[in-house]
Amino acid sequence: MYPFGKGFARYLPFLLLLIPVALYVIFYFGPSMLTVIYSFTDVKNVPGSPVHFVGLDNYYDLFFSGNSGERWRSIANTLIFMLVVTIVQNGVALFVAVLINQRLRGDYFYRAVFFLPVVLGVAVVALIWGMMFDPLSGPVNMLYGWLFGYKDMFFSSFTHAFGYIIFVQIWMYMGYSMLIFLAGLQTVPKDLYEAGYIDGTSKWQSFRHITFPLISPSFTVNMLLSIIGAMSTFDIILATTDGRFNTRTMAYDVYKETFRGSLEMGLPSALSVIQFLMILAFVVFAVKQMRKREVEY
Amino acid sequence: MSGVMSLNYVGGKKQMTKKIWALVLVSALTLSLAACGGGNKGGSAASEGDGGSKASGDKKVVKILHWKQENINKAMEEINADFEKKYPEYKVDYTTTGPDDEYKQAQRARITANDVDILADLSGMRLSPQDWTPGAKVPDWQQWIDSGLIADLSGQDFLKNWNANDIEKAGTYNGKVYAVPTGKVAMSGLFYNKEIFEENGLSVPTTWSELIQLGEDLKAKGITPIGVAGKDVWPLKLPVFALQAKILGGGDQQKWIEGVWKGETAYNDAEAVEVLDKMKTLQDNYMIDGFMGIDYASAPAIFATGKVAMLADGSWDAPTIATANPDLKFGYFPLPATEDAAKNASFVGKYDVTWYVTEKGPNQEGALKWLEFFSQPENYTKFVKAAGFIPTQDNISTDSEFIDKELTPYLGDFELAYEIMMINRENVGEHLAAEGVHTEYLAPGGEFKSAKELADVQQKEWEAAAPK
Repeated sequence: MYPFGKGFARYLPFLLLLIPVALYVIFYFGPSMLTVIYSFTDVKNVPGSPVHFVGLDNYYDLFFSGNSGERWRSIANTLIFMLVVTIVQNGVALFVAVLINQRLRGDYFYRAVFFLPVVLGVAVVALIWGMMFDPLSGPVNMLYGWLFGYKDMFFSSFTHAFGYIIFVQIWMYMGYSMLIFLAGLQTVPKDLYEAGYIDGTSKWQSFRHITFPLISPSFTVNMLLSIIGAMSTFDIILATTDGRFNTRTMAYDVYKETFRGSLEMGLPSALSVIQFLMILAFVVFAVKQMRKREVEY
Repeated sequence: MSGVMSLNYVGGKKQMTKKIWALVLVSALTLSLAACGGGNKGGSAASEGDGGSKASGDKKVVKILHWKQENINKAMEEINADFEKKYPEYKVDYTTTGPDDEYKQAQRARITANDVDILADLSGMRLSPQDWTPGAKVPDWQQWIDSGLIADLSGQDFLKNWNANDIEKAGTYNGKVYAVPTGKVAMSGLFYNKEIFEENGLSVPTTWSELIQLGEDLKAKGITPIGVAGKDVWPLKLPVFALQAKILGGGDQQKWIEGVWKGETAYNDAEAVEVLDKMKTLQDNYMIDGFMGIDYASAPAIFATGKVAMLADGSWDAPTIATANPDLKFGYFPLPATEDAAKNASFVGKYDVTWYVTEKGPNQEGALKWLEFFSQPENYTKFVKAAGFIPTQDNISTDSEFIDKELTPYLGDFELAYEIMMINRENVGEHLAAEGVHTEYLAPGGEFKSAKELADVQQKEWEAAAPK
């Protein structure tokens, strides 16, 4: 009846559960709630300074002050970043995963190669691509010059820098999505393909009607991870362009305003609340769409 | 780990006991970890309480926060070692972080946690709102002082060692001294390679048209005239400081800045456009190809290896250039902004490393002792020599040929740079943000085909940021 026995032992699990719950509340839930509260105040990062309730002033300032145009651009950038990363990263990852799942010779090697960038970490990746994309002496510019007679400024270009950041982000995390797809692919029962083979399916048909529906749980997970990850990315931006050259996103702005802008905490808090709401909206939408398609045979 | 593993046993009373024991062990582990954290916290709280005698062994620790700049860090470490030798009861805990924004972040974190006794600021006091700047941002240092986080140094004996005018200009707020500026730097000059100049029979230009002529002469000989680290963006501000100081307000920058607040001058008036236009001329014709791809750390090497004849950089980089190529003979001259040679012949710059002592730090008494030690001419000389600053103590001999021959002749009318004097409006747009005029937005890299187009956008942004 009671798996943990009677008397004190019965309550022990709940007592023990208190520890992680307390840690969660203190270090995660509490600060999150404080952020929401801060967003309605003029709290400053100066000990002992007075705090006032300012209503929606911070939200108003975000969208209707002198430099709000940049804010809208950050939001647009965030959406572009999220859409491109989610679609391209998962598309490429699925393609690579299907290839590797063919039991090619050396599939372990390929898997390791594609997964490697995930292990490298943002700082190393930024350094590598900073050197690859060096406008003066980088190999990519040499290649461009050789192939097209064209030179790019890469991370110093107002028009191209953001595109290159998206590329690096996808390069960095594609292996992660690939691994999840690969795990999904390996759960698809072989007999379904055999049955399909007997019924005379083409390769595409068996992918479209057997593989794809059956790996939709991995698909859901990957979509969610990419959406959330992409919308809260700021590290790769910080490490490559530091937000210069039109590469700011909402998450970068939150970081910048909090730690490097003025000492005001209200405005960046408001910005994080809006960022959170946007992520939430996209995630809820995506989950609803994808849950519909998940099947079991 | 073994505790967790035994959780997998199922059934039997013995196993049940084992299970509970495992849980107890795991939770004990967690608790002890938590206790560790708590213990640390308790320790530092206690040291805050007992008025700054945090013991390390039996020494009192003085915590100094600074940014990474190799030449200065080395000198600081020597001075700290001497300090510890002379006052064995103290131990100096000298922490450095990456420069600029990263440093700013560390500064905030440490001062908020009352975990620092002495902190450096990136420049002397600047940008304090005035009565003609309604709604202007209050700078960090001023908010800290207003919140009682910075110690009042007025009346300290060691202040007498410093030049009274410099302390007044860069360390005084509301009639009280809160900071010690450790030196001045010139920002508006161009380093030049003396060998290249001599070989080609070129001389230091004193007017704008001479500078243009010099650029043409160098190009005719296949030499790239000017290097600049455009990737970091801020180095582009340096030559602009010369243009701004000499052109805006007819050479009275302060008047122009007040005017722009009052609506008497504008970012798209003739003078402001001239500033942008002249910088555009330099960027388009005389700066190294792809300068927007050069990062600040690699710029000195490009100059030191003779790839460019001149380098737009601050005087603080002289020691770095000398290290990059010890055989290089180089000089430094103010970028001539106008046709008036006499007006051009002075530097624009700022106060660099400025020390603040915190009010609520763990060891204020030790911090004052350290600052007193640092202020003694023989220790300060060591510092200023290594830093390559123009001294802010009188009668200091730096034995630096660079300072004596290259900087001193142009120090007569030393003026503060635009970024030190320009009090910005809050939420001003990106083309004016960070007290700059952002010439990186000019074509070909940026979207503005002409100086006037950028200037018009700037004026619009300035007006949009006006307090409501």
